[in-house]
Amino acid sequence: MMNVLKKMGMSIRTYEGQKVLWGILFVSPWLLGFVFFFLIPLLTSLQYSFSNIEASSEGLQMTFVGFANFIEALTVNTNFNRQLIESMMDIVINVPLIIIFSLFIAVILNQKFFGRSLTRAIFFLPVILASGVILTLESTSLVQEINQQNAASGGLANALGAFELERIMLRAGVNEFIVSYLTGAVGRIYEIVSQSGVQILIFLAGIQTISPQIYEAAKMEGATGYEAFWKITLPMVSPLILVNMVYTIIDSFTRSPVTDLILSTGFDNFNFGLSSAMAWLYFVSIMLILLISTYFISKKVFYQE
Amino acid sequence: MTLIRKRKRIFRFQKKLNRSLPVSILLFMILALFGAFMAIPLIYAFNNAFKPLDELFIFPPKFFVRNPTFDNFFDLVAVMGDSWVPLSRYFANTFIITVIGTAGHVLLASMAAYPLAKYRFPGSRAIFSMVVLSLMFSPHVTAIPNYMVMSLLGWINTHASIIIPSMAFPLGLFLMKQFMEQLPDAMLEAAKMDGASEYRIFWSVVMPNVKPAWLTLLILQFPVLWGTNGGDFIYSEQLKPLNYALEQITLGGIARAGVGAAVALILMVVPITLFIISQSNVIQTMSSSGMKD
Repeated sequence: MMNVLKKMGMSIRTYEGQKVLWGILFVSPWLLGFVFFFLIPLLTSLQYSFSNIEASSEGLQMTFVGFANFIEALTVNTNFNRQLIESMMDIVINVPLIIIFSLFIAVILNQKFFGRSLTRAIFFLPVILASGVILTLESTSLVQEINQQNAASGGLANALGAFELERIMLRAGVNEFIVSYLTGAVGRIYEIVSQSGVQILIFLAGIQTISPQIYEAAKMEGATGYEAFWKITLPMVSPLILVNMVYTIIDSFTRSPVTDLILSTGFDNFNFGLSSAMAWLYFVSIMLILLISTYFISKKVFYQE
Repeated sequence: MTLIRKRKRIFRFQKKLNRSLPVSILLFMILALFGAFMAIPLIYAFNNAFKPLDELFIFPPKFFVRNPTFDNFFDLVAVMGDSWVPLSRYFANTFIITVIGTAGHVLLASMAAYPLAKYRFPGSRAIFSMVVLSLMFSPHVTAIPNYMVMSLLGWINTHASIIIPSMAFPLGLFLMKQFMEQLPDAMLEAAKMDGASEYRIFWSVVMPNVKPAWLTLLILQFPVLWGTNGGDFIYSEQLKPLNYALEQITLGGIARAGVGAAVALILMVVPITLFIISQSNVIQTMSSSGMKD
């Protein structure tokens, strides 16, 4: 520790040393909050997952039980395995669709037209509607009902259309896996549209930070709008594809049946150890998905130099 | 309204040589279709808030209001007048939580993101991977340890228990870092060479150039705090936020349907207004900034 301080004192005059000092100075307020409210609870929950926890008058009593909670979650609990796999599949299917859809809408919404900010607000609406306030009210104020009707009728019409489409494509000899992915996508339209509000906004902000001179130059060279999208917009927003992917995955937490299961195990059955173990298993499987997709995407990501 | 919009769009696109008219119309149709999907709940809620009681329970339900009244809003004031904590107090609580929490979050996240994006210092990689990891962890699970930290700090039943953790939310840092990485290094070096301090660079170079990013962050964080109901940390009635009070009113169920509709409208209008204001500000950003390489 003393050594580090000494080294910092020595290097403080150099440009590199100043960079370090300023870096730490800028990060530290946020880091303090992070450690207290995220890191400590996170590590405590890891400790819980290896323990048997009982609440008594002297506070929480922990006894170390090794991997028993993890084994129970995977082999004894009847729901956990199935729901974990289902929500993993949901994430794998929804994420690419949401990202493509939101980029598409963001590009359209970035153009100048009358009532643009209102249109943007409309696409952001599901986020505001889902932010808890209105969710509780909706059930009494009938908004919920219209939402459900929307989903139901839309779902029905989509399902019928998808069924026709499926037959035609299968007959045309398209690969069965691709067909089921596409028809599944049609059935999910409502879900995807209502989940991509934040992603549209992030892409929109990304497109707005691209300097207009680049487009001007491309236009002068005779590039079409189509070319400008593939050669300018897409590479420039590619770092944000990563952001949106991570966001979409986090967002799916709130909808996932696994989260409900974790919560009910913890707070209804008071089995905090098992609930923490489930949470960590969920966490690890999501991390795997993310690591794999990050690996592929970060190869394509373009950074302006 | 839509007709005017459509005409204007077509007119604009005709001037643009690089996209054909049918494609523009097709794009607009798609936009309108999805837009309608999204707008229906809002329009319905808006109409509901102005419906008199007999229209609220009409069957089959009518979409648009026929005899608009402000009765529902007067009822809301009347109902709130009976509670022993005045409505203004609830409103002030929500205002304090939302403003301080959102501003703090945007500020801290941007400040922390700047060195992480642009400088390498010992531990910067470790800090960032911690952020990404914590993003992936379901927040519900840490509920109990979180409560213990709060009680250790003595923040139970204070506004700080909601405000301070929201400032350290990892998503904002992640978003800001991705945006700041796109800033060209040449721009920062130029500022440095002109003798700007790090503090100055941050405020006069970095922040104006990532304005769309922190406006987005603002919009993301605001509804979360605006919609908080005090959670598990606030017990005193006089410290509860607005959302909690309004939730209590709507617990009256069917008898309070009219008031509930008014409440829903009030809670929706503020974030939407903020959104529209901030989105119209975004346009000015890019016209004022220019980079030549």
